[in-house]
Amino acid sequence: MIATLPQELVAELESIVGTRWVRKRAAELQVFDADGLPGYRQLPSLAVLPGTRDELIAIVRALAVRNIAFVPRGAGTGLSGGALGNDIVVIGLNRLTRILTIDAENGLAHVEPGVVNVNLGRAAAPFGLQYAPDPSSQSACTIGGNVAENAGGPHCLKYGVTMNHVVALTVLLPSGDLVTFGSPNGETGGYDFTGLFVGSEGCFGVAVDVWVRLVPLPQAIRTLLADFDSVDAAARAVSEIVATGILPAALEMMDNATIRAVEASIYAAGYPVDAAAVLLCEVDGLLEGLDADVATIERCCHRHGARTVRSASTEAERARLWQGRKKAFGAMGRIAPHLVVQDAVVPRTQLPAVLATIHGISERLGVMVCNVFHAGDGNLHPNIAYDANNADESARVHAAMQEIMQACIDAGGTITGEHGVGLDKLPYMSKLFSDDTLATMCAVRNVFDPNHRSNPGKVIPVHSCREWHGASPRSAP
Amino acid sequence: MNVESTASLVEWLHENREPFRIVGNGTWLGAGRPVPASRHLSVQPITGVVEYVPGDLTMTVRAGTRHAELDAITRREGQWLGLDPVMCAGGTIGATIATASAGPLVHSIGAVRDIVLGLETVAGNGIVSRGGGKVVKNVAGYDLVRLHTGAFGTLGIITEVSLRLRALPEVDETVALELDARTPLLAHLVRFRNLTLSPLTIELVGASMAEQLGLSACAHFVVRLGGNEPRVNAQRALLSALGTLQAVPGAFWQAVNVFEGAIGTAGLAVARVSHRPSQLADVWSHVHAAISSAKAAPFFMRATVSRGNIRVVLPHADGESDQQFVAALTSIAQTITPPGGHVVWEQLPVHVWPYIPSAVADPLSHGLQRTFDPDGRCNPGILGAPWTK
Repeated sequence: MIATLPQELVAELESIVGTRWVRKRAAELQVFDADGLPGYRQLPSLAVLPGTRDELIAIVRALAVRNIAFVPRGAGTGLSGGALGNDIVVIGLNRLTRILTIDAENGLAHVEPGVVNVNLGRAAAPFGLQYAPDPSSQSACTIGGNVAENAGGPHCLKYGVTMNHVVALTVLLPSGDLVTFGSPNGETGGYDFTGLFVGSEGCFGVAVDVWVRLVPLPQAIRTLLADFDSVDAAARAVSEIVATGILPAALEMMDNATIRAVEASIYAAGYPVDAAAVLLCEVDGLLEGLDADVATIERCCHRHGARTVRSASTEAERARLWQGRKKAFGAMGRIAPHLVVQDAVVPRTQLPAVLATIHGISERLGVMVCNVFHAGDGNLHPNIAYDANNADESARVHAAMQEIMQACIDAGGTITGEHGVGLDKLPYMSKLFSDDTLATMCAVRNVFDPNHRSNPGKVIPVHSCREWHGASPRSAP
Repeated sequence: MNVESTASLVEWLHENREPFRIVGNGTWLGAGRPVPASRHLSVQPITGVVEYVPGDLTMTVRAGTRHAELDAITRREGQWLGLDPVMCAGGTIGATIATASAGPLVHSIGAVRDIVLGLETVAGNGIVSRGGGKVVKNVAGYDLVRLHTGAFGTLGIITEVSLRLRALPEVDETVALELDARTPLLAHLVRFRNLTLSPLTIELVGASMAEQLGLSACAHFVVRLGGNEPRVNAQRALLSALGTLQAVPGAFWQAVNVFEGAIGTAGLAVARVSHRPSQLADVWSHVHAAISSAKAAPFFMRATVSRGNIRVVLPHADGESDQQFVAALTSIAQTITPPGGHVVWEQLPVHVWPYIPSAVADPLSHGLQRTFDPDGRCNPGILGAPWTK
């Protein structure tokens, strides 16, 4: 155990879950010290892994009695430095993996927070349904984590993000009180606590169970790959496609650096390595009318200089095209030992200008930015592969990320579209929001967690919240 | 009192300490519980488009801007907002968001909470905040947008909003299908659900309402189809297998929208009854029976099929005294909730409201009210008993 916790608390936690599910040694705790984003490692005092709802409730109540801070954690794939903390208790939710109900007739699923995103999709598929939010980490990330971060994914362009799919939650407040938000049986009136809780990054409590909306699997899907001589042309094609009134299920872009990384990896998808950018565009829905949409998209791409536009003719080919996109982050891992994955959003019409700015920043600072992003949403993921052990390179990467974030803010965008603020985006919050707005957000948090014990120090900068001054992360002020 | 800017609103809040009723264009003041405030604060003059970039399909407008104006501006660019709350043409976008009012298009476009990207608000304590932003994906900070959407102004006043727009569909047509009253509603619904459709909306319209809207005096499914021509044609062909389709002019939806205003009675009660969509037939029967046993005709019902939400309109009937009207509604209020389902009352006579449980009686709701409106001035009591010191 790294920092001192009351022995009686440790004993109580062990009595709740069994000694096997309490991690105390540094070597055991290291798996909880990061969330995939380099530069943020924080070692907890202890990690406790409940296997049932009752165990989870008992744990949070035991911590509440002693005023001990904690971090709820799913799969730890958030990429924002969110689900971690120094000298804190991590509550790992990965053992709460039951899909409690699939109500196919009403398109609803009731799940525990540790259900892996892709597993929910697999369980829904035999009923002709799908869970639409599909983060690239969907083979590992959990529904509870998706709720905490308001996760998105490529298909959110058409289907919406996590917030649009959560209809009800049971939440364990940091005080240990259980509350219910929303209902699977229709509208309840009152404040939209469901919407407020989704995306609160674990700062308002722990989701004990979640009701989500499932949507019908599309009758037909068409997947297209268009390649361009310039990023600018591809970005302009994106704007025109959306302006036609077609709402693609996904509209993803990868630049040349990303294409080459993917094609050099085991995830090679057949992207042309000499292209400046490729667009991966998918339309789905009723069979009738889909070919007309495809023809319109092809025209848009050609009008903006697409060299070729090809359509996946088999499911295997479609899967291959998507594998390249979904595994692009992994492919970039081959370039250098570390990869910083960024997340920002700009108005769609600003994409060409912002991409040009990012290119300029990367040239000037001598870092290689790989852009892979949800172009239809304007949701950028500029990623930089580098060696974090090289101080000079790390400094340049850090400077580049700061400039890229500022460029996105200046373009009227925001600092995160789906990964959350965590620790990584804290410095940018005061660039995006006024002091009064940040203070308002703090005040909202106080309603749920007046002692700031649930994932302390995240989302809102400490200096923006008077009440936080002098607060230790492990105890209430 | 009219305020013309966020700054003047803040000034007014600092100078006036009494409770007030927030007013947009004043088209829907009957909604919600009675507000014990002698002052009206009108934000209708805070109006106009702040920014509209058609290529982004987003728009930022001041809260007092009317839906009719938004519609005219966006249609010139081949776009629309896709929100159709009751009586929306004259109403303001701020009021729509504050009340989270939606119409039949909720089926395909989504609810108000799904469309709002950002909000500027002035809390009851005079603090101005801006939640969300102008882009279509945004998870920076806690979600002040969802917090104020549907809060009925009890946490503060919405002054500016950023919205997500959609491109207008290439084809937009409506057809109606008369339902044979000898066949159970459930059977009709099952036949309908078995079709693979992707319409803009499917409304189940009860017989009395259908007649008022110019259809025959039978229950109908009214389906709004949108998209490219092959898609609309294919869906129309599928629907025609269920029976004879009647082409319905697009103005039908406008008539649905202003229906409650057009009834023209002195008193009106409106409820939204909801449950899972698979329960719609049972809930429809339950609601019909609860009303029929207590109140003189007419009353009107329609439902958004995919959501399982029934909208019930209960006007003051001819020959019904005020006392009888109140007594009937008091009885209905206590029996209308279906087992496992929910009822949200939009309008009721003053004397019936005490029978309706508060939607904001829990500690978290009171905590939010205490935080945002510590003096209890903003629309106090409109959602239920507010926090008290």
